[in-house]
Amino acid sequence: MLRAAAIAERAGVPSVSIVTTPFMQQAAVVSKGVGLPSLPIAEYPGVPMTDGPEAVARKVEALLPQIIAGLAGARDVARAAVAEPPPREIVYRGSLEEIQEHFHEHLWSDGLPVIPPTLAHVERFLAHTRRAPDDVIGRLLPENRAATIWSIAVNGVMAGCRPEYMPVLVAIVEAIAEPIFRVEDAGSTPGWEPLVIVSGPIARRLDLNHGQGVMRVGRQANTTLGRFLRLYLRNVAGLRIPPGAGDKGSIAGSFNVALAEDEAAAAALGWPTFGADQGFTREDSVVTVQSVVSISPPIYSAGTRALEHARILAEVFGGACGYWSSIGMKYARWEPLLVLGPSIARVIAEDGWSKDDLRRYLHEHVTITARQAETYALQVGATSYTLEAHVKAGVLPAAYALSTDPERTVPVFVQPEKIGILVAGDPGRNQSKGYVNNHIQGGRVSKRI
Amino acid sequence: MTNPEPVYDVVWPLAPSAAPSGVLAARSPELDGKTVGELWDYLFKGEEIFPLIRRALAARYPSIRFVEYERLGSTHGRDEAELARTLPEALRKHGCDAVISAVGA
Repeated sequence: MLRAAAIAERAGVPSVSIVTTPFMQQAAVVSKGVGLPSLPIAEYPGVPMTDGPEAVARKVEALLPQIIAGLAGARDVARAAVAEPPPREIVYRGSLEEIQEHFHEHLWSDGLPVIPPTLAHVERFLAHTRRAPDDVIGRLLPENRAATIWSIAVNGVMAGCRPEYMPVLVAIVEAIAEPIFRVEDAGSTPGWEPLVIVSGPIARRLDLNHGQGVMRVGRQANTTLGRFLRLYLRNVAGLRIPPGAGDKGSIAGSFNVALAEDEAAAAALGWPTFGADQGFTREDSVVTVQSVVSISPPIYSAGTRALEHARILAEVFGGACGYWSSIGMKYARWEPLLVLGPSIARVIAEDGWSKDDLRRYLHEHVTITARQAETYALQVGATSYTLEAHVKAGVLPAAYALSTDPERTVPVFVQPEKIGILVAGDPGRNQSKGYVNNHIQGGRVSKRI
Repeated sequence: MTNPEPVYDVVWPLAPSAAPSGVLAARSPELDGKTVGELWDYLFKGEEIFPLIRRALAARYPSIRFVEYERLGSTHGRDEAELARTLPEALRKHGCDAVISAVGA
């Protein structure tokens, strides 16, 4: 919204942006990131989604002087660039304890102790990449900082990664710098968290866990890769919770450890690996990053036939996705991920089902009513959203508006081919788990290492 | 005798700012007779807020014109590069002298 205003300003068209009070600090971060820190703002007091029509009218009336001042009275002057430390400059000297305090005070840590980023330690990471330290992978909004190889090494050190993880760290940042990932929305109110998935030989070389407890902290590679990304989002994208700004996750969640697939189990079933599903070979080492906004309960399913498992998966994974599918429908794109326990994948595959068969079953059998979809979207803030309008606009297929009956059912999964399926977890238990992504925010991106 | 506590020289964990420099567009002190475009992210009651703004500004500036949000499309969920490419042209096409962008929440 502010970025649209900035585009207008750069096109010579004055703007004023209406921002609600709780978002004023985030607005300041975004305005600075787009290079126009004086973008005029009219502050709407409070939360419009809990205001009735009279309160909205009263507050809009009060906005008027700010709107007029923003459009007709705002003046701006060119600003000198703020000096920042060059990469190799020593910015602080202290004991381990003093460094923790200094980094906490400057909002440079995630609240956990960090490994001090000394020149020698950073150099050990840089030895694991052929890229120059000042190579820029992209720029990360909202703070709009250059994602340099140097900054990746520094934050990798701090997160407790091993130097040999560096190629994975670079691929992670390459993924989140892609426009389709929309890192600028990683501080949105749903509070989604990126999930890193490592595929191929490098997962074995770095000893990533893919078995029991795969998503628990405890294995160095899984844990520190996940921690690195959260730290990098804070320090380079500028996504900080209070006392910082930029991250408006309302309740949010903590970082996900990196996930790896039990590729031997998938191969034994004749199924393509998750990496192969993303268009790579089994010999390719690949990093995939996507958002996770919520996680299903553990899904226990029993039986010797694929259908018995598919029914439970549809109910529980589908149920976990149902509420948030309204937003997926709004943008006609989202990519939930189903982590199938190896024993369950085996039953499904041995019964002759492919991954696509399972995707098709989920697409056909997981539905919600149109009324639910529109009601859920309304609660989030999509106050003018209807499925019919989205079908008419060509965003959704015709199946979403076959009638005007609000109780008609519509598919929860807009595009079945976008359902990610990955085999991991405890081979000695019949459990799966679903990961719901945040529609177009944190779209699935894969990078070869 | 105890070993002295190690001391570390550390580097900055942030990265260079890539924010472009710039200044706001020049303003006209008079809004009467001007055309104001409405940029909406299709969220947070813009369908209530924009008509109220329209009425209030029109009462104050009788010759003000509006390009309503339906004609400029949603600003939410659009690829930023695509928006940067298309929005200036849309504003020119509709003759917008100024824009109101809403709703940030």
